[in-house]
Amino acid sequence: MDEVKNVIELKNVTKDYGDFKLDNVSFAVPEGTVCGFIGQNGAGKTTTINLILDVIRRDSGDITLFGEPVNKDTAYLREDIGVVFDEMGFHEFMTGRDINIMMKNIYKNWDEEVFFENLKKFSLPSKKKCGAFSRGMRMKLQIAVALSHNAKLLIMDEPTSGLDPIVRNEIIGIFREFVVEEDHTILLSSHITSDLEKIADEVVFINAGKIVLAGNKDEIMEKHAVLKCRKDEASKVSESLVVYSEIGDYGAEILVNDRHSAEKLYPDMVIENAALEEIMIYYVNRNRSASGTGR
Amino acid sequence: MKGLIIKDIMCLRKQLTLFFFVLFGTVVISIMFVLSAKYGNIALIGRQMLEINENEMSQIDIINLANIVMMLFMILPIACVGDMVNVFIADGKAGFIKISSIIPLTVSKRLLARFLTIFTLFGIGTAIDVILAFILSLLTDICSFGEMFGVIITSASVISIYSAILIFFCILLGYGREVYAQVLTILSMIVSFSLINFKSIKDIWIRIFINEQGFDRDTFWKPLYFIKEKGYIFLITACAVCILSYICSLKIAERKRGVI
Repeated sequence: MDEVKNVIELKNVTKDYGDFKLDNVSFAVPEGTVCGFIGQNGAGKTTTINLILDVIRRDSGDITLFGEPVNKDTAYLREDIGVVFDEMGFHEFMTGRDINIMMKNIYKNWDEEVFFENLKKFSLPSKKKCGAFSRGMRMKLQIAVALSHNAKLLIMDEPTSGLDPIVRNEIIGIFREFVVEEDHTILLSSHITSDLEKIADEVVFINAGKIVLAGNKDEIMEKHAVLKCRKDEASKVSESLVVYSEIGDYGAEILVNDRHSAEKLYPDMVIENAALEEIMIYYVNRNRSASGTGR
Repeated sequence: MKGLIIKDIMCLRKQLTLFFFVLFGTVVISIMFVLSAKYGNIALIGRQMLEINENEMSQIDIINLANIVMMLFMILPIACVGDMVNVFIADGKAGFIKISSIIPLTVSKRLLARFLTIFTLFGIGTAIDVILAFILSLLTDICSFGEMFGVIITSASVISIYSAILIFFCILLGYGREVYAQVLTILSMIVSFSLINFKSIKDIWIRIFINEQGFDRDTFWKPLYFIKEKGYIFLITACAVCILSYICSLKIAERKRGVI
């Protein structure tokens, strides 16, 4: 069997801002996958992405892209990376044509035919100033740019936030098309977990600067489940299985980290599938209660 | 790198329109001036000033005054060609740093692109000015082509020095503080000029305000002769300042990130 090639690899990466610390972050994104990078606002997603892209300097740890260590001299690696941020960085006076002129003189592999095709496909006028674009159009413009220089890796920071479901769905469709190629990989940061459930193969969950979960999305979703029981039954559930429990007036809801064991041990209790969002919320709440900031 | 230079020039689009208006105006007015200085009313005024001579002016003084007017014509197009602060302001407003930090160019190349934008624009401004100087030198004997060329080199060098220092302060202070960068640049240029010319300034001060001797003609016109004849000193200084500014800006940009 072929060895799995990691396109992105982070080992013990740390960045300390004083009031926020990205603490020993380690994860890998295998080639040909869509990796969902989830976490609440301020969890450290953008900081991690900025570190991967060498936009900010890490305090310690190692980052590799396409197997090469990232440092100030490896900007050429970005030839193969398309990046989409939550805000468009192009000047408002720029039109699609202006962006094409600029980018074809920056990227060696810039394909203007593909760029204008993308603009057409995304219904973006090439002569209109991008300052007059809606938020959805701005995101699509960034995606059109990211897809026009034969990038093998797409890194996206909240590309679907603030967009209506129709545009979000369209954009997810574009990502699906992109990963049809075997060597194409996506790192998609989002707190809209429903989007990731549709498209992600891998999931990395970050909370308060620490990686909480990382692995295959289906496995993570299969392993976790929400166990529903009466208040007095909650204490019977083995602590090793419990991620976090929410006990209310009418019963208890417990996120367990081993669904099969829970089903065997507690056959009388109701066990339901846990959505990514629920998993995220339970882990965040566990962290909050552990640090004493929970309610 | 070419792409970033193109983008910077796009940011200065409005300014370039102004440049072409100023250039057109300068060409028209300067030709009118030299023709008038030779055959028209300005020549007449010059002659009358010498005849009446209330201010004890010599012919050299009048020629030098005409030279200053010509210098202004030479400086105007270069001065209007591009103020880099507008590029920083436009980049900051658009959040272009997000784009520039993800393109396959190192910080050093991104910074070099900005410096090259200055040189490209000043190159264009200087070339046009040289053509203008050549035309004017054919029409007048107030100022030779060589002297006008000296003025062009001096003004292009001084504005390059201003731009190089401005880039340094913009990088040092970061986006959103361009006005402070401008103020600091002007202040640092004034301070440097004063320190370099401290002795001359002191002598003039003593002569005029302490000894109450009034202006000395030679001292008064000395800077004009210096500009016309020693433009290469400004050029060498400009090169040195640009290199120094690039090195210092690069160190800061690599440490701080997200400033270019």
